[in-house]
Amino acid sequence: MLNIFQSLEISHYIYLSCVLFCIGLFGVLFRRNAIILLMCIELMLNAVNLLFAAFSEYMGDKDANGQMFVFFIMVVAAAEAAVGLAILVMVYRNTRKTDVSFLDSLKD
Amino acid sequence: MIGILIVFIGAVLVLFLGLNKPEGGMKTLSSLVLFLAGVLSLLESLSILNFEMLSNWAPKNMIDFSKGDLMFVSLLAFVTAAIIAIFPTVEEKGSDRLGLMMLSLTGAFMMIGADHLVMLFLGIEVLSIPLYVLAGSDKHNLRSNEAAIKYFLMGAFSTAIFLLGCAFIYGGSGSLSLSEISLRMSIVGHLSEFPALIKVGVILMSTGLLFKVSAFPFHFWAPDVYEGSPNKVTTFMAVIVKIAGFVAFANYLQAFEALATWYSKWLIILAVCTIIFGNIAAISQKTVKRTLAYSSIAHAGYLLLFLITPMKANMWILFAYSVAYALSTVVLFYFNDKYSTKKEYGFGMFSGLLKNNQSATILMVISLFSIAGIPVTVGFTAKYYLFTSAFEVSPLAVGIALLGSAISIMYYFKAFKPMFESVETNTNETHASKIHFVVYLMVAASVIFGMFPYLFERCF
Repeated sequence: MLNIFQSLEISHYIYLSCVLFCIGLFGVLFRRNAIILLMCIELMLNAVNLLFAAFSEYMGDKDANGQMFVFFIMVVAAAEAAVGLAILVMVYRNTRKTDVSFLDSLKD
Repeated sequence: MIGILIVFIGAVLVLFLGLNKPEGGMKTLSSLVLFLAGVLSLLESLSILNFEMLSNWAPKNMIDFSKGDLMFVSLLAFVTAAIIAIFPTVEEKGSDRLGLMMLSLTGAFMMIGADHLVMLFLGIEVLSIPLYVLAGSDKHNLRSNEAAIKYFLMGAFSTAIFLLGCAFIYGGSGSLSLSEISLRMSIVGHLSEFPALIKVGVILMSTGLLFKVSAFPFHFWAPDVYEGSPNKVTTFMAVIVKIAGFVAFANYLQAFEALATWYSKWLIILAVCTIIFGNIAAISQKTVKRTLAYSSIAHAGYLLLFLITPMKANMWILFAYSVAYALSTVVLFYFNDKYSTKKEYGFGMFSGLLKNNQSATILMVISLFSIAGIPVTVGFTAKYYLFTSAFEVSPLAVGIALLGSAISIMYYFKAFKPMFESVETNTNETHASKIHFVVYLMVAASVIFGMFPYLFERCF
Protein backbone atom coordinates (compact mmCIF):
# COMPACT_ATOMS: atom_id res chain seq x y z
CA MET A 1 0.00 0.00 0.00
CA LEU A 2 2.78 2.39 0.97
CA ASN A 3 4.54 1.71 -2.32
CA ILE A 4 1.53 2.92 -4.25
CA PHE A 5 1.59 6.26 -2.45
CA GLN A 6 5.30 6.63 -2.93
CA SER A 7 5.07 5.94 -6.63
CA LEU A 8 2.49 8.72 -7.08
CA GLU A 9 3.91 11.84 -8.63
CA ILE A 10 3.10 15.39 -7.66
CA SER A 11 1.01 15.80 -10.81
CA HIS A 12 -1.47 13.20 -9.57
CA TYR A 13 -2.08 15.27 -6.47
CA ILE A 14 -2.50 18.39 -8.55
CA TYR A 15 -5.08 16.68 -10.76
CA LEU A 16 -6.94 15.25 -7.79
CA SER A 17 -7.06 18.62 -6.05
CA CYS A 18 -8.23 20.34 -9.20
CA VAL A 19 -11.01 17.80 -9.68
CA LEU A 20 -12.14 18.19 -6.06
CA PHE A 21 -11.96 21.95 -6.39
CA CYS A 22 -14.04 21.92 -9.56
CA ILE A 23 -16.68 19.70 -7.95
CA GLY A 24 -16.97 22.30 -5.21
CA LEU A 25 -16.96 25.13 -7.72
CA PHE A 26 -19.76 23.69 -9.83
CA GLY A 27 -21.68 22.91 -6.67
CA VAL A 28 -21.50 26.56 -5.65
CA LEU A 29 -22.55 27.68 -9.10
CA PHE A 30 -25.46 25.31 -9.65
CA ARG A 31 -26.91 24.24 -6.31
CA ARG A 32 -29.42 26.45 -4.58
CA ASN A 33 -29.58 25.10 -1.04
CA ALA A 34 -27.48 27.29 1.24
CA ILE A 35 -26.25 24.38 3.37
CA ILE A 36 -25.05 22.51 0.31
CA LEU A 37 -23.34 25.69 -0.85
CA LEU A 38 -21.50 25.80 2.47
CA MET A 39 -20.45 22.18 2.04
CA CYS A 40 -19.21 22.90 -1.48
CA ILE A 41 -17.11 25.80 -0.24
CA GLU A 42 -15.62 23.51 2.42
CA LEU A 43 -14.81 21.02 -0.32
CA MET A 44 -13.00 23.72 -2.29
CA LEU A 45 -10.98 24.70 0.78
CA ASN A 46 -10.10 21.07 1.49
CA ALA A 47 -8.95 20.57 -2.07
CA VAL A 48 -6.57 23.48 -1.50
CA ASN A 49 -5.42 21.90 1.77
CA LEU A 50 -4.58 18.68 -0.02
CA LEU A 51 -2.63 20.60 -2.63
CA PHE A 52 -0.66 22.49 0.00
CA ALA A 53 0.18 19.31 1.87
CA ALA A 54 1.26 17.61 -1.35
CA PHE A 55 3.47 20.51 -2.42
CA SER A 56 4.96 20.74 1.03
CA GLU A 57 5.86 17.07 0.96
CA TYR A 58 7.23 17.46 -2.55
CA MET A 59 9.54 20.30 -1.50
CA GLY A 60 11.22 18.01 1.01
CA ASP A 61 11.89 18.23 4.70
CA LYS A 62 13.17 21.76 4.78
CA ASP A 63 9.92 23.43 3.91
CA ALA A 64 7.03 23.19 6.35
CA ASN A 65 5.42 26.41 5.15
CA GLY A 66 2.75 24.62 3.16
CA GLN A 67 1.74 22.41 6.06
CA MET A 68 1.59 25.45 8.30
CA PHE A 69 -0.71 27.14 5.80
CA VAL A 70 -3.07 24.14 5.99
CA PHE A 71 -3.66 24.77 9.67
CA PHE A 72 -4.44 28.40 9.05
CA ILE A 73 -6.92 27.45 6.34
CA MET A 74 -8.60 24.94 8.66
CA VAL A 75 -8.98 27.52 11.41
CA VAL A 76 -10.35 30.14 9.06
CA ALA A 77 -12.69 27.62 7.44
CA ALA A 78 -14.09 26.77 10.86
CA ALA A 79 -14.62 30.45 11.66
CA GLU A 80 -16.23 30.99 8.30
CA ALA A 81 -18.53 28.02 8.73
CA ALA A 82 -19.58 29.28 12.17
CA VAL A 83 -20.45 32.73 10.83
CA GLY A 84 -22.08 31.28 7.73
CA LEU A 85 -24.33 28.96 9.73
CA ALA A 86 -25.26 31.82 12.06
CA ILE A 87 -26.29 33.93 9.06
CA LEU A 88 -28.24 30.97 7.73
CA VAL A 89 -30.10 30.55 11.01
CA MET A 90 -30.95 34.26 10.94
CA VAL A 91 -32.30 33.97 7.40
CA TYR A 92 -34.23 30.83 8.29
CA ARG A 93 -35.93 32.57 11.21
CA ASN A 94 -37.19 35.29 8.90
CA THR A 95 -38.09 33.28 5.82
CA ARG A 96 -38.44 29.66 7.00
CA LYS A 97 -36.34 28.63 4.02
CA THR A 98 -32.71 27.79 3.43
CA ASP A 99 -32.96 28.08 -0.31
CA VAL A 100 -30.96 30.99 -1.69
CA SER A 101 -33.07 31.43 -4.83
CA PHE A 102 -35.88 32.88 -2.72
CA LEU A 103 -33.62 35.73 -1.78
CA ASP A 104 -34.08 38.09 -4.69
CA SER A 105 -35.60 41.20 -3.20
CA LEU A 106 -32.51 43.22 -4.08
CA LYS A 107 -32.70 44.11 -7.74
CA ASP A 108 -32.22 47.00 -10.09
CA MET B 1 2.30 47.59 13.99
CA ILE B 2 1.20 50.13 16.59
CA GLY B 3 -1.99 50.66 14.57
CA ILE B 4 -2.95 46.99 14.69
CA LEU B 5 -2.25 46.76 18.41
CA ILE B 6 -4.19 49.87 19.39
CA VAL B 7 -7.19 49.10 17.22
CA PHE B 8 -7.31 45.48 18.37
CA ILE B 9 -7.06 46.34 22.07
CA GLY B 10 -9.57 49.14 21.55
CA ALA B 11 -11.97 46.77 19.83
CA VAL B 12 -11.82 44.27 22.68
CA LEU B 13 -12.33 47.07 25.20
CA VAL B 14 -15.29 48.46 23.27
CA LEU B 15 -16.83 45.00 22.98
CA PHE B 16 -16.64 44.28 26.68
CA LEU B 17 -17.20 47.71 28.19
CA GLY B 18 -20.25 48.21 26.02
CA LEU B 19 -21.76 44.82 26.75
CA ASN B 20 -24.87 46.11 28.47
CA LYS B 21 -24.84 49.73 27.44
CA PRO B 22 -26.50 51.35 24.46
CA GLU B 23 -24.26 51.57 21.45
CA GLY B 24 -24.14 55.37 21.51
CA GLY B 25 -22.12 55.30 24.75
CA MET B 26 -19.17 53.58 23.12
CA LYS B 27 -19.18 55.73 20.01
CA THR B 28 -16.81 58.38 21.37
CA LEU B 29 -14.39 55.85 22.82
CA SER B 30 -14.11 53.85 19.64
CA SER B 31 -13.64 56.84 17.37
CA LEU B 32 -11.04 58.26 19.76
CA VAL B 33 -9.15 54.95 19.77
CA LEU B 34 -9.18 54.89 15.99
CA PHE B 35 -8.12 58.52 15.83
CA LEU B 36 -5.20 57.78 18.17
CA ALA B 37 -4.15 54.82 16.03
CA GLY B 38 -4.31 57.04 12.97
CA VAL B 39 -2.25 59.81 14.53
CA LEU B 40 0.43 57.44 15.83
CA SER B 41 0.74 55.67 12.48
CA LEU B 42 0.98 59.00 10.71
CA LEU B 43 3.71 60.18 13.08
CA GLU B 44 5.56 56.91 12.61
CA SER B 45 5.40 57.16 8.85
CA LEU B 46 6.71 60.73 9.00
CA SER B 47 9.58 59.35 11.16
CA ILE B 48 8.66 61.56 14.10
CA LEU B 49 7.94 58.64 16.39
CA ASN B 50 9.54 55.25 16.29
CA PHE B 51 7.97 51.96 17.32
CA GLU B 52 10.80 49.74 16.16
CA MET B 53 10.53 47.71 19.35
CA LEU B 54 6.96 46.64 18.56
CA SER B 55 7.79 45.64 15.02
CA ASN B 56 10.52 43.37 16.32
CA TRP B 57 7.93 41.26 18.10
CA ALA B 58 6.32 40.31 14.84
CA PRO B 59 8.16 37.81 12.66
CA LYS B 60 9.97 39.98 10.16
CA ASN B 61 9.16 38.08 6.99
CA MET B 62 5.46 37.91 7.79
CA ILE B 63 4.34 41.46 8.24
CA ASP B 64 6.30 44.59 7.61
CA PHE B 65 4.98 48.11 7.34
CA SER B 66 6.94 50.41 5.08
CA LYS B 67 6.53 54.18 5.34
CA GLY B 68 3.98 54.17 2.54
CA ASP B 69 1.99 51.36 4.15
CA LEU B 70 1.78 53.36 7.35
CA MET B 71 0.24 56.26 5.44
CA PHE B 72 -2.48 53.91 4.25
CA VAL B 73 -2.94 52.56 7.78
CA SER B 74 -3.44 56.05 9.14
CA LEU B 75 -5.82 56.96 6.30
CA LEU B 76 -7.98 53.91 6.98
CA ALA B 77 -7.96 54.54 10.73
CA PHE B 78 -9.03 58.16 10.25
CA VAL B 79 -11.75 57.23 7.78
CA THR B 80 -13.15 54.54 10.08
CA ALA B 81 -13.07 56.97 13.00
CA ALA B 82 -15.03 59.41 10.86
CA ILE B 83 -17.53 56.75 9.78
CA ILE B 84 -18.17 55.73 13.38
CA ALA B 85 -18.42 59.37 14.49
CA ILE B 86 -20.80 60.68 11.85
CA PHE B 87 -23.26 57.82 11.38
CA PRO B 88 -26.05 57.45 13.92
CA THR B 89 -25.95 54.45 16.24
CA VAL B 90 -28.70 51.90 16.65
CA GLU B 91 -31.09 51.82 19.59
CA GLU B 92 -30.23 48.30 20.69
CA LYS B 93 -27.95 47.40 23.56
CA GLY B 94 -24.43 46.15 23.04
CA SER B 95 -21.59 47.70 21.12
CA ASP B 96 -20.80 44.68 18.99
CA ARG B 97 -21.24 46.61 15.75
CA LEU B 98 -18.52 49.08 16.66
CA GLY B 99 -16.26 46.32 17.97
CA LEU B 100 -16.66 44.22 14.86
CA MET B 101 -15.97 47.21 12.65
CA MET B 102 -12.72 47.83 14.49
CA LEU B 103 -11.72 44.16 14.33
CA SER B 104 -12.41 44.20 10.63
CA LEU B 105 -10.13 47.22 10.33
CA THR B 106 -7.25 45.26 11.91
CA GLY B 107 -7.70 42.81 9.05
CA ALA B 108 -7.35 45.68 6.60
CA PHE B 109 -4.09 46.69 8.32
CA MET B 110 -2.80 43.14 8.08
CA MET B 111 -3.55 43.10 4.36
CA ILE B 112 -1.68 46.35 3.87
CA GLY B 113 1.40 45.24 5.76
CA ALA B 114 1.42 41.62 4.60
CA ASP B 115 4.67 40.32 3.21
CA HIS B 116 3.68 36.67 3.29
CA LEU B 117 0.82 34.85 1.63
CA VAL B 118 -0.36 33.47 4.98
CA MET B 119 -0.58 36.98 6.37
CA LEU B 120 -2.34 38.25 3.26
CA PHE B 121 -4.89 35.44 3.51
CA LEU B 122 -5.42 36.00 7.23
CA GLY B 123 -5.80 39.72 6.64
CA ILE B 124 -8.46 39.17 3.99
CA GLU B 125 -10.34 36.81 6.27
CA VAL B 126 -10.07 38.97 9.38
CA LEU B 127 -11.39 41.82 7.25
CA SER B 128 -14.22 39.79 5.74
CA ILE B 129 -15.62 37.62 8.53
CA PRO B 130 -16.75 40.52 10.75
CA LEU B 131 -18.15 42.17 7.63
CA TYR B 132 -20.36 39.16 6.87
CA VAL B 133 -21.87 39.64 10.31
CA LEU B 134 -22.10 43.42 9.96
CA ALA B 135 -23.83 43.17 6.58
CA GLY B 136 -26.60 41.23 8.29
CA SER B 137 -26.62 43.29 11.47
CA ASP B 138 -30.09 44.63 10.74
CA LYS B 139 -31.44 41.27 11.83
CA HIS B 140 -35.14 41.62 11.14
CA ASN B 141 -34.72 43.31 7.79
CA LEU B 142 -34.96 40.74 5.01
CA ARG B 143 -32.86 42.86 2.66
CA SER B 144 -30.04 42.97 5.19
CA ASN B 145 -30.29 39.20 5.59
CA GLU B 146 -30.04 38.76 1.88
CA ALA B 147 -27.04 41.05 1.68
CA ALA B 148 -25.33 39.07 4.43
CA ILE B 149 -25.84 35.71 2.80
CA LYS B 150 -24.84 36.98 -0.63
CA TYR B 151 -21.72 38.64 0.74
CA PHE B 152 -20.85 35.57 2.74
CA LEU B 153 -21.20 33.14 -0.16
CA MET B 154 -19.33 35.38 -2.58
CA GLY B 155 -16.63 36.10 0.00
CA ALA B 156 -16.08 32.46 0.90
CA PHE B 157 -16.12 31.47 -2.76
CA SER B 158 -13.53 34.09 -3.70
CA THR B 159 -11.37 33.10 -0.73
CA ALA B 160 -11.28 29.51 -1.97
CA ILE B 161 -10.19 30.66 -5.44
CA PHE B 162 -7.59 32.95 -3.89
CA LEU B 163 -6.24 30.05 -1.83
CA LEU B 164 -5.96 27.75 -4.83
CA GLY B 165 -3.87 30.49 -6.42
CA CYS B 166 -1.67 30.62 -3.31
CA ALA B 167 -1.18 26.87 -3.49
CA PHE B 168 -0.13 27.01 -7.13
CA ILE B 169 2.26 29.86 -6.49
CA TYR B 170 3.73 27.92 -3.59
CA GLY B 171 4.14 24.90 -5.82
CA GLY B 172 5.69 26.91 -8.60
CA SER B 173 8.04 29.11 -6.65
CA GLY B 174 8.66 27.05 -3.51
CA SER B 175 8.04 29.93 -1.16
CA LEU B 176 5.19 31.79 0.47
CA SER B 177 7.05 34.96 1.33
CA LEU B 178 6.40 37.71 -1.19
CA SER B 179 9.89 39.19 -1.02
CA GLU B 180 11.39 35.70 -1.40
CA ILE B 181 9.13 34.99 -4.39
CA SER B 182 10.08 38.28 -6.01
CA LEU B 183 13.76 37.45 -5.50
CA ARG B 184 13.39 34.04 -7.09
CA MET B 185 11.35 35.47 -9.95
CA SER B 186 13.99 38.05 -10.81
CA ILE B 187 16.61 35.31 -11.20
CA VAL B 188 14.61 33.35 -13.77
CA GLY B 189 14.56 36.20 -16.24
CA HIS B 190 12.69 35.37 -19.40
CA LEU B 191 8.92 35.21 -19.45
CA SER B 192 8.59 31.84 -21.15
CA GLU B 193 10.79 30.16 -18.56
CA PHE B 194 8.33 30.65 -15.73
CA PRO B 195 6.49 27.52 -14.67
CA ALA B 196 2.86 27.46 -15.76
CA LEU B 197 1.94 26.90 -12.12
CA ILE B 198 2.99 30.43 -11.24
CA LYS B 199 0.98 31.98 -14.04
CA VAL B 200 -2.13 30.00 -13.12
CA GLY B 201 -1.55 30.95 -9.50
CA VAL B 202 -1.31 34.64 -10.34
CA ILE B 203 -4.53 34.43 -12.35
CA LEU B 204 -6.42 32.67 -9.55
CA MET B 205 -5.11 34.92 -6.79
CA SER B 206 -5.97 37.99 -8.82
CA THR B 207 -9.44 36.60 -9.38
CA GLY B 208 -9.92 36.29 -5.64
CA LEU B 209 -8.79 39.85 -5.08
CA LEU B 210 -10.85 41.19 -7.99
CA PHE B 211 -13.90 39.71 -6.26
CA LYS B 212 -13.02 41.62 -3.12
CA VAL B 213 -12.56 44.96 -4.87
CA SER B 214 -15.61 44.27 -7.12
CA ALA B 215 -13.94 44.66 -10.50
CA PHE B 216 -15.66 43.82 -13.76
CA PRO B 217 -16.48 40.17 -14.25
CA PHE B 218 -16.79 39.71 -10.50
CA HIS B 219 -18.73 42.82 -9.58
CA PHE B 220 -22.27 41.42 -9.71
CA TRP B 221 -22.61 40.95 -5.96
CA ALA B 222 -21.59 44.49 -5.07
CA PRO B 223 -24.73 46.54 -5.86
CA ASP B 224 -27.01 44.07 -4.07
CA VAL B 225 -24.80 43.78 -1.01
CA TYR B 226 -24.23 47.52 -0.83
CA GLU B 227 -27.93 48.19 -1.10
CA GLY B 228 -29.04 45.64 1.47
CA SER B 229 -26.49 46.36 4.20
CA PRO B 230 -27.06 49.10 6.77
CA ASN B 231 -25.71 52.45 5.55
CA LYS B 232 -22.81 52.57 7.97
CA VAL B 233 -21.61 49.12 6.92
CA THR B 234 -22.02 49.94 3.25
CA THR B 235 -19.79 52.97 3.67
CA PHE B 236 -17.21 50.89 5.46
CA MET B 237 -17.31 48.23 2.74
CA ALA B 238 -17.15 50.70 -0.11
CA VAL B 239 -14.19 52.57 1.32
CA ILE B 240 -12.08 50.37 3.59
CA VAL B 241 -12.40 47.07 1.74
CA LYS B 242 -11.70 48.67 -1.59
CA ILE B 243 -8.65 50.66 -0.48
CA ALA B 244 -7.15 47.79 1.54
CA GLY B 245 -7.87 45.43 -1.34
CA PHE B 246 -6.05 47.62 -3.82
CA VAL B 247 -3.05 48.17 -1.56
CA ALA B 248 -2.78 44.41 -1.03
CA PHE B 249 -3.25 43.86 -4.75
CA ALA B 250 -0.47 46.32 -5.56
CA ASN B 251 1.86 44.83 -2.94
CA TYR B 252 1.35 41.31 -4.17
CA LEU B 253 1.63 42.15 -7.87
CA GLN B 254 4.93 43.87 -7.15
CA ALA B 255 6.35 40.48 -6.20
CA PHE B 256 5.51 39.29 -9.72
CA GLU B 257 6.97 42.29 -11.47
CA ALA B 258 8.88 39.95 -13.79
CA LEU B 259 5.52 38.98 -15.29
CA ALA B 260 4.36 42.60 -15.67
CA THR B 261 4.18 42.64 -19.46
CA TRP B 262 2.00 39.56 -19.40
CA TYR B 263 -0.52 40.50 -16.74
CA SER B 264 -0.79 44.20 -17.50
CA LYS B 265 -2.53 43.65 -20.82
CA TRP B 266 -5.22 41.65 -19.06
CA LEU B 267 -5.51 44.23 -16.34
CA ILE B 268 -6.00 46.95 -18.97
CA ILE B 269 -8.91 45.00 -20.48
CA LEU B 270 -10.45 44.45 -17.05
CA ALA B 271 -10.01 48.09 -16.10
CA VAL B 272 -11.64 49.32 -19.29
CA CYS B 273 -14.56 46.91 -18.91
CA THR B 274 -15.03 47.89 -15.26
CA ILE B 275 -15.02 51.59 -16.07
CA ILE B 276 -17.47 51.25 -18.94
CA PHE B 277 -19.78 48.90 -17.12
CA GLY B 278 -19.77 50.73 -13.79
CA ASN B 279 -20.49 54.09 -15.32
CA ILE B 280 -23.13 52.97 -17.79
CA ALA B 281 -25.01 50.87 -15.24
CA ALA B 282 -24.95 53.76 -12.78
CA ILE B 283 -26.85 56.06 -15.11
CA SER B 284 -30.06 54.07 -15.04
CA GLN B 285 -30.18 53.60 -11.25
CA LYS B 286 -33.07 55.11 -9.35
CA THR B 287 -31.86 54.91 -5.77
CA VAL B 288 -28.94 56.96 -4.49
CA LYS B 289 -27.37 54.02 -2.70
CA ARG B 290 -27.26 51.86 -5.81
CA THR B 291 -25.89 54.71 -7.86
CA LEU B 292 -23.09 55.08 -5.34
CA ALA B 293 -22.52 51.32 -5.45
CA TYR B 294 -22.08 51.37 -9.22
CA SER B 295 -19.91 54.46 -8.94
CA SER B 296 -17.69 52.54 -6.55
CA ILE B 297 -17.38 49.82 -9.19
CA ALA B 298 -16.32 52.48 -11.69
CA HIS B 299 -13.74 53.76 -9.22
CA ALA B 300 -12.39 50.22 -8.87
CA GLY B 301 -11.85 50.42 -12.64
CA TYR B 302 -9.83 53.63 -12.36
CA LEU B 303 -7.79 52.08 -9.58
CA LEU B 304 -7.09 49.02 -11.74
CA LEU B 305 -5.36 51.40 -14.13
CA PHE B 306 -2.96 52.16 -11.30
CA LEU B 307 -1.86 48.53 -11.22
CA ILE B 308 -0.45 48.71 -14.74
CA THR B 309 1.84 51.63 -13.94
CA PRO B 310 5.22 51.05 -12.28
CA MET B 311 3.80 50.67 -8.82
CA LYS B 312 6.66 50.94 -6.41
CA ALA B 313 7.52 54.55 -7.25
CA ASN B 314 3.89 55.50 -7.69
CA MET B 315 2.35 54.34 -4.41
CA TRP B 316 1.64 57.95 -3.53
CA ILE B 317 -0.73 58.15 -6.51
CA LEU B 318 -2.72 55.25 -5.12
CA PHE B 319 -2.69 57.06 -1.79
CA ALA B 320 -3.91 60.32 -3.34
CA TYR B 321 -6.69 58.51 -5.15
CA SER B 322 -7.66 56.63 -1.98
CA VAL B 323 -7.87 59.89 -0.05
CA ALA B 324 -10.03 61.48 -2.74
CA TYR B 325 -12.30 58.47 -3.04
CA ALA B 326 -12.64 57.98 0.72
CA LEU B 327 -13.42 61.61 1.55
CA SER B 328 -16.09 62.11 -1.08
CA THR B 329 -17.69 58.66 -0.78
CA VAL B 330 -18.06 58.85 3.00
CA VAL B 331 -19.64 62.31 2.78
CA LEU B 332 -22.07 61.26 0.06
CA PHE B 333 -23.09 58.11 1.92
CA TYR B 334 -23.58 60.26 5.01
CA PHE B 335 -26.01 62.54 3.20
CA ASN B 336 -27.78 59.55 1.69
CA ASP B 337 -28.19 58.09 5.17
CA LYS B 338 -29.33 61.40 6.65
CA TYR B 339 -31.92 62.36 4.08
CA SER B 340 -33.33 59.03 2.91
CA THR B 341 -36.64 58.00 4.40
CA LYS B 342 -38.74 54.85 4.14
CA LYS B 343 -40.70 56.34 1.27
CA GLU B 344 -38.09 58.38 -0.51
CA TYR B 345 -34.67 56.92 -1.23
CA GLY B 346 -34.14 58.15 -4.79
CA PHE B 347 -32.66 61.45 -5.82
CA GLY B 348 -35.90 63.13 -4.76
CA MET B 349 -34.65 63.03 -1.17
CA PHE B 350 -32.56 66.11 -1.87
CA SER B 351 -35.45 68.17 -3.20
CA GLY B 352 -35.35 71.72 -1.90
CA LEU B 353 -32.13 71.19 0.06
CA LEU B 354 -30.79 74.60 -0.92
CA LYS B 355 -33.76 76.36 0.58
CA ASN B 356 -33.61 74.47 3.88
CA ASN B 357 -29.92 74.04 4.48
CA GLN B 358 -27.37 76.06 2.56
CA SER B 359 -24.29 74.62 4.26
CA ALA B 360 -25.37 71.04 3.50
CA THR B 361 -25.82 72.02 -0.13
CA ILE B 362 -22.32 73.47 -0.32
CA LEU B 363 -20.82 70.37 1.29
CA MET B 364 -22.66 68.09 -1.09
CA VAL B 365 -21.72 70.10 -4.15
CA ILE B 366 -18.04 70.02 -3.22
CA SER B 367 -18.17 66.27 -2.57
CA LEU B 368 -19.92 65.63 -5.87
CA PHE B 369 -17.30 67.77 -7.64
CA SER B 370 -14.58 65.78 -5.91
CA ILE B 371 -15.97 62.36 -6.76
CA ALA B 372 -16.60 63.40 -10.36
CA GLY B 373 -13.07 64.82 -10.64
CA ILE B 374 -13.68 68.52 -11.17
CA PRO B 375 -10.78 70.91 -10.51
CA VAL B 376 -9.84 72.49 -7.19
CA THR B 377 -10.95 69.34 -5.38
CA VAL B 378 -8.71 66.42 -4.47
CA GLY B 379 -10.73 64.20 -6.80
CA PHE B 380 -9.40 66.12 -9.76
CA THR B 381 -5.76 66.08 -8.70
CA ALA B 382 -5.84 62.38 -7.88
CA LYS B 383 -7.44 61.52 -11.20
CA TYR B 384 -4.95 63.77 -12.99
CA TYR B 385 -1.96 61.98 -11.44
CA LEU B 386 -3.46 58.56 -11.99
CA PHE B 387 -4.30 59.17 -15.63
CA THR B 388 -1.01 60.84 -16.53
CA SER B 389 0.97 57.96 -15.03
CA ALA B 390 -1.22 55.35 -16.76
CA PHE B 391 -1.06 57.29 -20.04
CA GLU B 392 2.54 56.22 -20.56
CA VAL B 393 1.50 52.57 -20.48
CA SER B 394 -1.80 52.61 -22.30
CA PRO B 395 -3.14 55.82 -23.88
CA LEU B 396 -6.25 54.06 -25.16
CA ALA B 397 -7.30 52.88 -21.70
CA VAL B 398 -6.83 56.38 -20.32
CA GLY B 399 -8.95 57.77 -23.14
CA ILE B 400 -11.75 55.39 -22.20
CA ALA B 401 -11.30 56.27 -18.53
CA LEU B 402 -11.70 59.96 -19.38
CA LEU B 403 -14.84 59.14 -21.33
CA GLY B 404 -16.04 57.19 -18.28
CA SER B 405 -15.43 60.19 -16.03
CA ALA B 406 -17.43 62.31 -18.43
CA ILE B 407 -20.30 59.82 -18.23
CA SER B 408 -20.03 59.77 -14.46
CA ILE B 409 -20.74 63.51 -14.32
CA MET B 410 -24.12 62.71 -15.79
CA TYR B 411 -25.28 60.63 -12.85
CA TYR B 412 -23.49 62.48 -10.09
CA PHE B 413 -25.13 65.69 -11.17
CA LYS B 414 -28.57 64.11 -11.18
CA ALA B 415 -28.63 65.22 -7.54
CA PHE B 416 -28.32 68.89 -8.52
CA LYS B 417 -31.73 69.29 -10.09
CA PRO B 418 -33.77 68.35 -6.98
CA MET B 419 -31.33 70.20 -4.75
CA PHE B 420 -31.81 73.55 -6.42
CA GLU B 421 -35.49 73.27 -7.26
CA SER B 422 -37.88 75.50 -5.41
CA VAL B 423 -40.37 73.71 -3.21
CA GLU B 424 -43.72 74.74 -1.87
CA THR B 425 -43.39 73.41 1.66
CA ASN B 426 -41.48 75.68 3.92
CA THR B 427 -39.34 73.61 6.23
CA ASN B 428 -38.19 70.06 5.97
CA GLU B 429 -37.21 68.73 9.39
CA THR B 430 -34.58 66.27 8.20
CA HIS B 431 -33.02 68.78 5.84
CA ALA B 432 -32.79 71.50 8.44
CA SER B 433 -31.05 69.32 11.04
CA LYS B 434 -27.43 69.99 11.94
CA ILE B 435 -24.54 68.37 10.14
CA HIS B 436 -21.77 66.67 12.07
CA PHE B 437 -18.61 68.78 12.31
CA VAL B 438 -16.45 65.90 11.02
CA VAL B 439 -18.22 66.21 7.67
CA TYR B 440 -17.10 69.85 7.46
CA LEU B 441 -13.54 68.74 8.23
CA MET B 442 -13.62 66.07 5.54
CA VAL B 443 -14.91 68.42 2.88
CA ALA B 444 -12.38 71.05 3.92
CA ALA B 445 -9.67 68.41 3.64
CA SER B 446 -10.74 67.51 0.14
CA VAL B 447 -10.45 71.15 -0.92
CA ILE B 448 -7.12 71.68 0.84
CA PHE B 449 -5.55 68.55 -0.60
CA GLY B 450 -6.89 69.62 -3.97
CA MET B 451 -5.14 72.95 -3.72
CA PHE B 452 -1.84 71.59 -2.45
CA PRO B 453 -1.49 68.28 -4.28
CA TYR B 454 2.27 68.06 -3.77
CA LEU B 455 1.59 67.19 -0.11
CA PHE B 456 1.04 63.57 -1.16
CA GLU B 457 4.29 63.21 -3.02
CA ARG B 458 6.11 64.85 -0.12
CA CYS B 459 4.74 62.41 2.43
CA PHE B 460 6.01 59.29 0.71
